[in-house]
Amino acid sequence: MLQIENLHVCVEDQPILNGLSLEINAGQVHAIMGPNGSGKSTLAQVLAGRDDYKVTQGSITFYGKNLLEMQPEERAHLGLFLAFQYPTEIPGVNNAYLLKAALNAQRAARNEQEVDAFEFMNLIKNKMEMMQIPKTFLNRSVNEGFSGGEKKRNEILQMLTLEPSLAILDETDSGLDVDALRIVADGVNNLRSPERSLILVTHYERLLELVVPDFVHVLAGGRIVKSGDRDLARYLDEHGYDWVQTEVSAQ
Amino acid sequence: MNTEILRKEFESRMAQLPSQGKDHEFRRKAMDAFYSAGFPSRQWETWKYTDLKPIASKGFQLIPKESTDSAHETASKLLATCDLEAEPSRLIFLDGHHVPALSSEITTTGLRLSMLGHPGLKNRSAFSKHSSKNFKEHPLAALNAAFSTQGVRIQVAEKTNIDTVIHLVFLDSNLENQTSQPRILIDLKAESKITIVQHFLGAGSNSGWTNSVTEISQARSSDLTLYQLQEHGTEHFHTGLLYSSLTSDASIKLGFIDLGGRLTRNDVQIDLDGAGAKTELFGVFLAADGQHIDNHTRIDHRAPETKSIETFRGIIGDRGRGVFNGKVVVHPDAQKVDAQQSNDNLLLSEKAEIDTKPELEIYADEVKCSHGATVGDLDAEQLFYMKSRGIKESAARGILIFAFANEILKLIGLPKLRERAILGVADHLPSHDRLGVEL
Repeated sequence: MLQIENLHVCVEDQPILNGLSLEINAGQVHAIMGPNGSGKSTLAQVLAGRDDYKVTQGSITFYGKNLLEMQPEERAHLGLFLAFQYPTEIPGVNNAYLLKAALNAQRAARNEQEVDAFEFMNLIKNKMEMMQIPKTFLNRSVNEGFSGGEKKRNEILQMLTLEPSLAILDETDSGLDVDALRIVADGVNNLRSPERSLILVTHYERLLELVVPDFVHVLAGGRIVKSGDRDLARYLDEHGYDWVQTEVSAQ
Repeated sequence: MNTEILRKEFESRMAQLPSQGKDHEFRRKAMDAFYSAGFPSRQWETWKYTDLKPIASKGFQLIPKESTDSAHETASKLLATCDLEAEPSRLIFLDGHHVPALSSEITTTGLRLSMLGHPGLKNRSAFSKHSSKNFKEHPLAALNAAFSTQGVRIQVAEKTNIDTVIHLVFLDSNLENQTSQPRILIDLKAESKITIVQHFLGAGSNSGWTNSVTEISQARSSDLTLYQLQEHGTEHFHTGLLYSSLTSDASIKLGFIDLGGRLTRNDVQIDLDGAGAKTELFGVFLAADGQHIDNHTRIDHRAPETKSIETFRGIIGDRGRGVFNGKVVVHPDAQKVDAQQSNDNLLLSEKAEIDTKPELEIYADEVKCSHGATVGDLDAEQLFYMKSRGIKESAARGILIFAFANEILKLIGLPKLRERAILGVADHLPSHDRLGVEL
């Protein structure tokens, strides 16, 4: 589904990713862990198509197509979704309106029938209940005045509605209390299927106890320096990242 | 428009009018004021960014011709686009003439409507005690006073709350060189309340000129809400002065939505003359390719504990040009004044231009004043967020522009008018920023 090869990325002329390679197949859940500043969020943003991040080398292929040549909206139409670490506030744009516009834009791009207001409400009703988002949120401006946890739950609501084939969750767990984390995890698990893949970018192991990954990768210095299964995440949780960095420096 | 032609037109206008004593004298006085001032030029500080030469050099007919059948047909078509059927209280003016056949019969206790220029009616004087105040600063208001025979005087009796919204619709059927000079006189007695809409609506691309004057006089604790929606045809010129004087505890809410026209200049002068008087003034202007929209407002706090909140937002596309000047003057004895003003603008292209200037003059020492102006492009973070959800660039831009305008449009308290303004904004967006999704 997704092949990243030897990816080098600069942000404001600072190299952040230095030769990252990763392959993700349908149905897999990959966790990407690493210390602050290791390039985790950069990877997430580059995948979504942020244009001020400059790819200087390497390639990303999504369903056999060159992802780097696509606009962010084209990536979304192909089934890519990024749950933002810091969801953007958009004053004046109604939350439900944005979600319906996004859903219909994607359906139109795939030559599917657009949904009307009634169908849309039916479609999101259960998903809102699952995410414990009250109806009043629909008429509020996108993310404006939402608490940290509300923003994250709103991202997952969008994800559940848009049903992406590859979802990237950028530190969706950070800043969540235990209850909110469980709600988010339930939402994510609900989306899991043999056709869908997930990239969980996280600093902590606790999300991975609830959404169990097939693979865990450790990012340091802009590269994947270690890969393993969920036990690697548990080991990191116990021992921190210092030993990884020591290993990398030793190389 | 040279002086000789003006004189000739004025004299023939005077000859047409039934002799009304004082009014006749007043019109001469107004005409003299215009002769001596002439069209404001860009040498005037208040006209620095707006050039009236296109109006002054054109042969506009100051005495509007009688409307034709085809004009009436156009008028009916235009009216059909106004979904105001639930608001039966409207007065229709077409190409400078009142059209009783299209207007509603409005009979409401405590409300007196007198059509100007209809001889035989009481209170038909086209002028108020404020009419000559602004001749020097606003020669176009003098020109309006000299020539205008269309308009209405709206009087609300003491302690009367008028529930009916009065719609004044000024239609322009696209006659070349036609001039329309409406006068609207609004007189609110103590503790009265009313909502009025001034709707300028035109079609086609012939150039006409609307030069309107609205004079408002508000007695103690009266409450006026007035919205002006300007949807002229693409080549229309619009100049207008709205003057308002408020005595103690009176309040006025004013909303200006400017969408159409080639060149628009709104002058607003609000005198907060009595203690506790307050105004809420807001506006949205959208200048698409080649349009020029200028809002000049001045609020004078002449009494203590007066309050003003002013918010204008401009959206300038392609080679559009916007001007905003908001002057707030707090006079020496006007203590405990609260005055806030802001003007935010979106420039949608490199060729778009905005000149914005908030001006504060404070001569009292116990005041709370703030003002600010911003000019910017759309927010890149917000655009990226929406695109990452699958929304196309053009649609995402449209949504953001629209949201920017809607923050102000939501202040319109009349649902149907608000809806029309919202659709109007969407319609007038530059084509590459047009909403790709339904509203």
